[in-house]
Amino acid sequence: MLTDLEAENTALLQFLYACPTGLIEFAADGTVGMANPIAMQLLLPISGAPFVTNLFEALSSCAPDLRNLLDAFEPGHGTVCEGHRIFVGGGKGRATVLACTIVKMSAERYIATLGDISKQVVQERRLKEAETWFASLLDGIDDVAVMSLDEAGRIDAVTPSILRQTALAPENLIGLPLEAIERPDAVSSAPSVGEALVTAQRDGWHLYEGWHVHGTCERYWCQRLVTVRHDQDGEGGQLGYTVVLRAVTRQGRDATELRNLLTRDHLTGAGNRAHFFEMAERELARFRRYATGFAIVAMDIDHFKRINDTEGHAAGDAVLQELTRRCKAELRPQDTFARLGGEEFGILLPGGSLDEAVRIAERVRRVVSEVPFAFGGKGLSVTASFGCVAPETSGQALANLMASADEALYRAKHGGRDQVAIAGRNRAAA
Amino acid sequence: MPTFETVTLPELVAFDADQFDALPFGAVGFTSDDIVELYNATESRLAGLPRDSVVGAPYFAVTAQCMNNFMVAQRFADEPELDVIIDYVLTLRMRPTRVRLRLLKKSDVSLRFLLIER
Repeated sequence: MLTDLEAENTALLQFLYACPTGLIEFAADGTVGMANPIAMQLLLPISGAPFVTNLFEALSSCAPDLRNLLDAFEPGHGTVCEGHRIFVGGGKGRATVLACTIVKMSAERYIATLGDISKQVVQERRLKEAETWFASLLDGIDDVAVMSLDEAGRIDAVTPSILRQTALAPENLIGLPLEAIERPDAVSSAPSVGEALVTAQRDGWHLYEGWHVHGTCERYWCQRLVTVRHDQDGEGGQLGYTVVLRAVTRQGRDATELRNLLTRDHLTGAGNRAHFFEMAERELARFRRYATGFAIVAMDIDHFKRINDTEGHAAGDAVLQELTRRCKAELRPQDTFARLGGEEFGILLPGGSLDEAVRIAERVRRVVSEVPFAFGGKGLSVTASFGCVAPETSGQALANLMASADEALYRAKHGGRDQVAIAGRNRAAA
Repeated sequence: MPTFETVTLPELVAFDADQFDALPFGAVGFTSDDIVELYNATESRLAGLPRDSVVGAPYFAVTAQCMNNFMVAQRFADEPELDVIIDYVLTLRMRPTRVRLRLLKKSDVSLRFLLIER
């Protein structure tokens, strides 16, 4: 017979085993004390290791700033973060986005919950876009052009204002597909018109914001809303699309702040992992559709752990920040420089070839290694290793490209560090 | 006594209750639709769950959610025959614990077995 206490203990255990949210108790250094099954199920595929003993290490590849968040929290107890989003990036058996809430119980004891919110995030993003669009409908707009497309996506009516945005006369546009006026800025990663129509069909609307080339060849910030038009009573089939193009001079500060929050790494100000993968997927889609090339450089600071261990985490953080500053200065505005993990960065070069990627990687390698990093009155020598890759066939998945870049990076490390290696080639480039 | 590594699936099916309970490692026998039929004393003690609360219930869906993934449960579903040992982590009584799992499945035996060694 079970005693009351044993029966209660069993009920508690079953409750925790079956709890649909991840629960973790951990120490200030990240050491996991207790965890329930869902927590482990979420963490194991992310950590890539067969065993998770430290929460920070398990999440270092996708939430390297977690430790900084905890360090920055001064009160003796309280909520450190609520629903903090950790972008994991898809993969076999992995969630895409986790929500993490951390409560500090004492200086040495923390409780965290982890939940998979991948689906919710996709929905939210679309809602947010809709909200931004409608809320700012009359704010800071220079010009609005409205077009009607038939069911096949061909223009059947336009407002005269289209002339100002595209330098194309309305009468010349009738009968043309929407692509005819589509002049995205060469350096931006706009989703294609086809993509917009497909999404609009699925969801009723599609919104895109980005640089376009003006009729007079100036760049302007354009918001493009595509909505599906049904007949009056809404019950009949689809009649076509309505497209609204808005030229916006002033972007709301809130939108910019929100964008930064969602796309930047907390510590360094480099792009975050979510942003990098989103931009890379976009480049890959463009590559498949238009065969516009791009390249990826994976970068990893050499012996970073040594810097942290001998000089302290503050030195490590300073190195990450200064390195970000130096690297960004070497890149074009359209390139994406992002922190992918603890000391791991990614450079996305839209339009770049593999040779260009190697050249840029080499340049970045030199600006990192040639001048020591100043910290606490001394100069720290820092070097990094690089792996370059460019897509070869349209069937390649982003995960494969990243794996190739990592493989090259591994060779650069293995070959003595402070060097650039190229995916698929057996020798280091420099 | 057969060990974690040597015990065979027909032996597991043939054990009487005492022999099954006496195994020094956890052993769970479940049907193709995930219902637990056999749950030995060793596993009951380590997981902190009485046998009555586990037998008759879905295993991966209810009791062992931490193995309800592509590494364990999915392999039982996908592979016609299995006899592999993998390193794994279980949260036994909420303590992350390194274990070795042995996944056993044969096309001519209806029960599948999961062996758990700490």
